[in-house]
Amino acid sequence: MALEFIVITNNPLVQEKFADELNVDYEDIPFRDVLCKVRDLIHKGHRLLTHPLSGSVKPHETPYKSVLVTTKPSTMDLGEVSIIENAIITADKFAEKFPNMPQSVKEDFQLIDCTLITSGIDAVLRR
Amino acid sequence: MKLELGNIIINDIQFTNEGSKVENGVLTVNPEQIKSLVLEDSNIESCEVFIARPGESVRITPVKDVIEPRVKVEGPGGIFPGWIAKVDTVGSGRTNVLKGAAVVTTGKIVGFQEGIIDMTGPGADYTPFSKTYNLVVKMEPVEGLKQHDHEYALRIAGFKVACFLGELGRAVTPDEIETFEFDNLVESAKKYPDLPRVAYVQMLQSQGLLHDTYVYGVDAKRTLTTIINPLETMDGAIVSGNCVSSCDKNPTYVHLNNKVIRELFKAHGKTLNFVGHIITNENVYLADKERSSNWSAKLAEYLGCDGVIISQEGFGNPDTDLIMNTKKIEAKGIKTVIITDEYAGRDGKSQSLADADPSANAVVTGGNANQVIVLPPMETVYGHLHFVDTIAGGSANNIDAHGNITVEIQAITGATNETGFHNLSAR
Repeated sequence: MALEFIVITNNPLVQEKFADELNVDYEDIPFRDVLCKVRDLIHKGHRLLTHPLSGSVKPHETPYKSVLVTTKPSTMDLGEVSIIENAIITADKFAEKFPNMPQSVKEDFQLIDCTLITSGIDAVLRR
Repeated sequence: MKLELGNIIINDIQFTNEGSKVENGVLTVNPEQIKSLVLEDSNIESCEVFIARPGESVRITPVKDVIEPRVKVEGPGGIFPGWIAKVDTVGSGRTNVLKGAAVVTTGKIVGFQEGIIDMTGPGADYTPFSKTYNLVVKMEPVEGLKQHDHEYALRIAGFKVACFLGELGRAVTPDEIETFEFDNLVESAKKYPDLPRVAYVQMLQSQGLLHDTYVYGVDAKRTLTTIINPLETMDGAIVSGNCVSSCDKNPTYVHLNNKVIRELFKAHGKTLNFVGHIITNENVYLADKERSSNWSAKLAEYLGCDGVIISQEGFGNPDTDLIMNTKKIEAKGIKTVIITDEYAGRDGKSQSLADADPSANAVVTGGNANQVIVLPPMETVYGHLHFVDTIAGGSANNIDAHGNITVEIQAITGATNETGFHNLSAR
């Protein structure tokens, strides 16, 4: 049986593309809050499956972030705690730059985030 | 295996209405030939061709790829195997190179692209491609073309143009011939039994759209860490499909002219024995990272390395791959030196990488990508300036009344390259 996982995301395109097929936890929240939500799950023992700093578009340059974690908690992994905590520290180095982003640019950022997480989803599902 | 690079030194590019040619160091190009070649692809609606010479008041942005024109004149294989040529193994025989010339592709794929090349002014000091004679190919897609198809069309068009120009050098006698030889493991061990055995671990960007790299046409995210002959890399086996955050991404030009490989060849037989080139990926799935770094360490051990040099491509997610590679290779008793760049904040005071480990204690930096620079206006812009206006390592409203653009150097193509291709570092 394939690994069961949740897609934690604030990206409406990821919600639209995968909601029927996968367990998608979508909330319209800021980038940093997605990371914090993932951190809280990692502390509860969910396993981190994809890197929270995926993509070369910088935190706060893109408003969107999607991360995969396991559905069922097991034992908290200290290496994964370190990755998510460092990701939050790193994100905090980048100030929010574009509060009034045009919709077309938002959609491009959604597409890039969706592409990145799709490569993670494909890897987990081995397809 | 032995590879000869026949360098034809190019000192200028000119346009002509007649046939394109290379003569007396001048690359003469008929732009109509370039356009008709590019427009063979029905996904490309329009194409414009420009020349950008060092010192001219020209800005090129957003840069998609930079490619060196080349032609295979002797031996098996062809240029860009898996894309333009068939997948025959490259890295032997003779390849002629239009040295000093480059094809720079530009065009909007997504609404936030970066990648600036200024041919003069303070920005020019931060990109290696202000020193090349550039044929700029600007392409626009047909309406409704999806971003993946768009990226593909631009990438292939760049390779086709580079091969077309390279072909002009087929019958030209090179100004210099560089010869590189790479022995098999048994021979090199016999020749240099007392020299330290050093391999190069090259990390390839492999996360998704605008973040991909290809080896003989294969998407690097779908590969296991493997060994490639460094001569294959020098002869076009690895090409770029990435351009976002362009300061520390490797355009195809950089893969062809990888400085780590060149420096290792220089030192080979003198201070070290260069035993191999390991290529590994930077995927987003953590299990892929574990597997790929396990294989890097396993292959470094298999090559009997005393030391390895690891180069990263990108920032953030790949910092984790970098540290995994370093920890696991060091744990095999093999010394590592890592080449990275830094996102240390605009004041340079923040932690440089998103991951760290005590074993990563020998580090070469390509500079701080958050460093701020003011770029004065250029007389001519090839591409689309409004990206710079809205994004590109800057912030909203980052153009002042005089047209000066304030950006972080992460927006400049090649500024903090992590294969030592440019000149920023720290001591």
